[in-house]
Amino acid sequence: MREKVKPEIKFEEIPGPEELELEKMPYEEYCRKIFDPKKTFEKPEALKGIRWLSCTMYIFTPHSVSNLAELGAEVIKVEMPRAGDPMRHTSPFNEAYLYPLHDTRPFTGTGYGYFHANLNEYYISLDYHRPEAREIVYNLVRMSDGLTECYRPGTFHRWGIGYKQLCEINPRFIYVWGGGFGYGPKVFGGSYDILGQAQGGLASITGFHEDFGGHPVKHTNWVIDWYSGTMITVGVLAALYWRRKTGLGTMIEFSQVHCATRACGYGVPLYGRFGIVRQRWGNWDTQLCVHGIIRTGKSDYPNDPNPQLREEAKYVMVSAFQDEDFRELCYVIGRPDLWEKYKTHKERLKPEAQIEIYGALEQWASDKTRSEVVDILTDAGLLAMPVMNDKEVYECQHFRERGTIRWIEDPIFGDVLVHGGFSVGLLSETPRRVRWVWRPVGADNVRVYHELLGYPISQIKEWYDKGII
Amino acid sequence: MGVMDLTEIIWCKHCNTVNYLDPYTFWNWKGKVKCAGCDRVYYVHIIQGFYYEGPKEMPPGEPYDIMPLYADKPLEGYESYKPGTPGRTRPYLCLPREIYLGKADKVKFSIRGRPVRGWAPQPPSSGLAGSQGFKWDIEKLSPDVWKEYQVKLRKGEVREW
Repeated sequence: MREKVKPEIKFEEIPGPEELELEKMPYEEYCRKIFDPKKTFEKPEALKGIRWLSCTMYIFTPHSVSNLAELGAEVIKVEMPRAGDPMRHTSPFNEAYLYPLHDTRPFTGTGYGYFHANLNEYYISLDYHRPEAREIVYNLVRMSDGLTECYRPGTFHRWGIGYKQLCEINPRFIYVWGGGFGYGPKVFGGSYDILGQAQGGLASITGFHEDFGGHPVKHTNWVIDWYSGTMITVGVLAALYWRRKTGLGTMIEFSQVHCATRACGYGVPLYGRFGIVRQRWGNWDTQLCVHGIIRTGKSDYPNDPNPQLREEAKYVMVSAFQDEDFRELCYVIGRPDLWEKYKTHKERLKPEAQIEIYGALEQWASDKTRSEVVDILTDAGLLAMPVMNDKEVYECQHFRERGTIRWIEDPIFGDVLVHGGFSVGLLSETPRRVRWVWRPVGADNVRVYHELLGYPISQIKEWYDKGII
Repeated sequence: MGVMDLTEIIWCKHCNTVNYLDPYTFWNWKGKVKCAGCDRVYYVHIIQGFYYEGPKEMPPGEPYDIMPLYADKPLEGYESYKPGTPGRTRPYLCLPREIYLGKADKVKFSIRGRPVRGWAPQPPSSGLAGSQGFKWDIEKLSPDVWKEYQVKLRKGEVREW
């Protein structure tokens, strides 16, 4: 009889699939593992295999394509020879540039205004106006999945490179026109972010009411450009999915001003129901009180040479709209009479009540620093958050650990701080990534025209000398 | 007041060249400017964008302090001297100001002390049609910044954040 030799194996020690291991982990640990920013470049890219042409300028349309590039698409940005995208020539106060822009312009750089709108792309130059350019565009279209452009409506059509012509060459082609107004009565209207905010109705409800010395306000940054660009990307992803099902391309026509209207929330429907035109309510809220931003008396940086820190680091967001929270807030600021006066949320919401309540809050905070106010309210179990500036966002550990902001070693421009698409969400399996912020104008002319399209070097040289590329 | 009112010029009647004194440099400025079209030198004193004194022609051979950024000859079909024409105009360096002090400043390092390519001019690419490689070889292309960076590393001035 054979002797039975069997090592004892415990079931718990048998290594299982990684997914099971992950399920044993507490949520925090689990997230840290699957979203680890350090593992970004070990993972695949969702849109790898998609090739997109970006015939775009400024922020709105470039950003829509940059989103694709961050997700792994191969994006070829087409710019005017020597000059490039006009956005390259914009920079805060004309002072922040990375050099060089192009061989022929050694004293010109690309401004920081260009940031985050053209990440990971390959850069070629091409003057579409020239008859020679048409065949080049057709060849690019034959090898690409889509194109985004932002010229006045019908311009590409007139040049023979509009959707109507291109879908004959490549029926699977996805074509995006993004611009100001689109077809309709204002077809020739161009747009900027501020125009979008104004025309779309958004500026009319931003800022304080005139009764409080306020005016319609545009956001300091170009929020509608960034928002509209992202909405185009949503359309492109839907078009790609549609093409996968049907094998057919799509034309996307995207008017920026309408995007600002979408951001107005319930404003237009409210008018439709009651005829009421929504008014600005600034740093307070029309549906919740207390739920706003207040000014405290002292900055957190009283001696800093930078006025933006010395004078401006004084604002706090406070939220205490539920009855028990509002009661606590009134007692903390030493105004229990306000609680007695406004015991229900409906009473607190009235404009007269809000004026009195926020006034009392700012009165209480007038001899305190921003941090003191936040500490006192947080200790009382209320929601309070300092209004942070860029320096504080940079120093915030939460943003760093999640990889919302990252330092990258750009291959050409060196050490740059980026946030890109990381700030809008993390993907566990196919994370967004930033390889480079941009490249000089025409930096990939040989790579694209010679290595991808197969044009001889002599031809490229001739085009370059003639200013076609 | 129009934009043109804020840009002072020196119209050299000897060679009919208009020398433009850009407000960035000449807003508050006193000194001698060489004409881009000939060798004449003019003394100017500008306060808040307006002439306080001059332009006054100096004797021939007078040393000058600065050249204009741009000049043209409107009576001769607008022949122009672009920025950086040797011996005629000075280059446009596009230098950012040092924070708060308003002096031109070359930013060579990020706030965590690592090199950033933030100054002009940069050497041209070696590629065809403006093609660029994928790496800034800082040691080769910007040796002075590389040396400065090594010093920073030794001093522990290079941080992770």
